[in-house]
Amino acid sequence: MGKLEAIDYGDRQVYTVSAFNRGVGSWLQRLPTVWVEGEICDLRRQERWQTVFFTLKDTGDGSILTGLMPRGQFDALRLELQNGERVHVYGRPELFEPRGELRLRALGIERFGLGQHLAALERLKQKLAAEGLFSPERKRQLPRFPRRIGLVTGNDAAAKRDVIASVQSRFPPARLLVAETFVQGPRAAAAVAQALGAITAEPEVDVVVLARGGGSFEDLLPFSDERVVRAVADCPVPVVSAVGHEQDTPLCDLAADVRASTPTAAARLVVPDLDELLSSLARARAGLGRGARRSLERHGARLESLATRLERAAGLLVERRRAGVERSAAKLRALSPLATLERGYAIVRHEGAVVRAAATVTPGAEIDVRVSEGAFSATVKEMRQ
Amino acid sequence: VTFEEAERELQQIVERLESGSVPLEDAIALWERGEELYRLCRERLDAAQGKVEELARRVEDARPAQAPPPV
Repeated sequence: MGKLEAIDYGDRQVYTVSAFNRGVGSWLQRLPTVWVEGEICDLRRQERWQTVFFTLKDTGDGSILTGLMPRGQFDALRLELQNGERVHVYGRPELFEPRGELRLRALGIERFGLGQHLAALERLKQKLAAEGLFSPERKRQLPRFPRRIGLVTGNDAAAKRDVIASVQSRFPPARLLVAETFVQGPRAAAAVAQALGAITAEPEVDVVVLARGGGSFEDLLPFSDERVVRAVADCPVPVVSAVGHEQDTPLCDLAADVRASTPTAAARLVVPDLDELLSSLARARAGLGRGARRSLERHGARLESLATRLERAAGLLVERRRAGVERSAAKLRALSPLATLERGYAIVRHEGAVVRAAATVTPGAEIDVRVSEGAFSATVKEMRQ
Repeated sequence: VTFEEAERELQQIVERLESGSVPLEDAIALWERGEELYRLCRERLDAAQGKVEELARRVEDARPAQAPPPV
C-alpha cells in the first residue's frame, strides 16, 4: 500500500477507508482466476441492472460468497439458472470498494448437474475399483449368529424401524446397537464414516448394517462419498449395505460385504429365522430318535433270529444223533437172536462156547443160559440118553 | 467213552452183524455189547436234550417282553 497516500499524524500513518479498500482491492486483483463450486441462491437479475448478482453457498458448511456477472454475459450463457442449483463458477476475487465487500467476479458459469455428478461418481468408482475395494475376494461371510448387530442409520428413519422390527421378529434374542447419524445433507458423509468407526469399536459387534431408506439421487450421494466407501471397506467386521431402493447403487453397496435391497432383506441376512431354526432342529432330533430306534429294532430282530436258530440247532443236533442211534439199534435188533429167544429158545454156553451136543458137558459142569430176557448160570445134574 | 466213540462202535457192530460172517458165539456177545452201547448213547442224548431245553427256557425267561423304549 506504499503508493497510497496516507495522512501523517506525527509518526503515525493513517489511511482513509476509501484508500484502504482501494489498496486491498488492487492487491486482490493479483490473485489468479479459479473455479469455485457452490449452490446458487438469491439470484438477482433485472432488466434494468447491468449486472446479475447471486450468492454461492457451500453445500458442506453453508459458507457464502457473493458472485456477480455482467447481465449480457450472463444471458449469453442461456443457463436458465434457478436457485438451489449447483454450479461451478470460473472467476476471480474482487473487492466492492464502496462497501468493502469481497465478491467473486464470474467470467463463466457451468451448471454442475446430474451428468457431471455421474461422471464424477464414475471417476471415483474407477479409482476405488482399481484399488481393489470392490473385489469379490474382499467379501466376508456374515456370522451365522451375531453376538451384537451394529445398525448405522438416520434417527427416527423408517429404515431403522424396519431393520429393528425384522431382526427382532425373526430372531428375538438378537442384540442390536444403534448408531444414529445424519444420512442426508452436507454433514452426512463424514458422520456416517465416523459412526461406522465408532460402532465397530464397541465390544461384541460382529456385523454392521448400514441402512437408509429411498431418496433422490442427491439424497443418496453421501453413500457414494469416498469417505463412506472407504469406511465400509475398512470396517473390521462384515457390512450389510441397505441403502436406497433396488435400482440405486451407491458406491458403499459395492464396498459392502453383502448388499440388501431393503432393510427387511438386511434383517434376513444378519439373523436366522428362530422359528424355522427350532422346527428344523426338532425335525433333526425326531429323525435321530427314529434312526436310533430303527437300528435298535434291526439289531434286535437279527439277534432274535440267531437265538432261535441257536436253540433249534442244538435240538436238531440231538435229534439227528438220536435218529442215528435209533437206526443202529433197530438194525441191531433185527440181526440179533432176540426174536428166536422170544419164541422160548435158550442159548447154553459152557466155558464161553455154545453147547450144541450134550456130550460136550459132564455132570457138575457150570453152564450159562441166555434167554429172551436175561441170563442165568446153572449146574449140569445128570446126563440123559 | 464219548458219545461219538460209543456210536461209532455201535455202528461197527451193526455192520459186522449185517455182513453175516460172524460166528454165533461172537454174534451174541456183539449183540449184548451193542445193546449196552445203545443204552449209553440214549442216556447221553437224553441228558443233552434236557440241558438244551433247560437253557432254552432260561433264555426265554431272561428275554425282555418288548423292544427297548425309544431313545
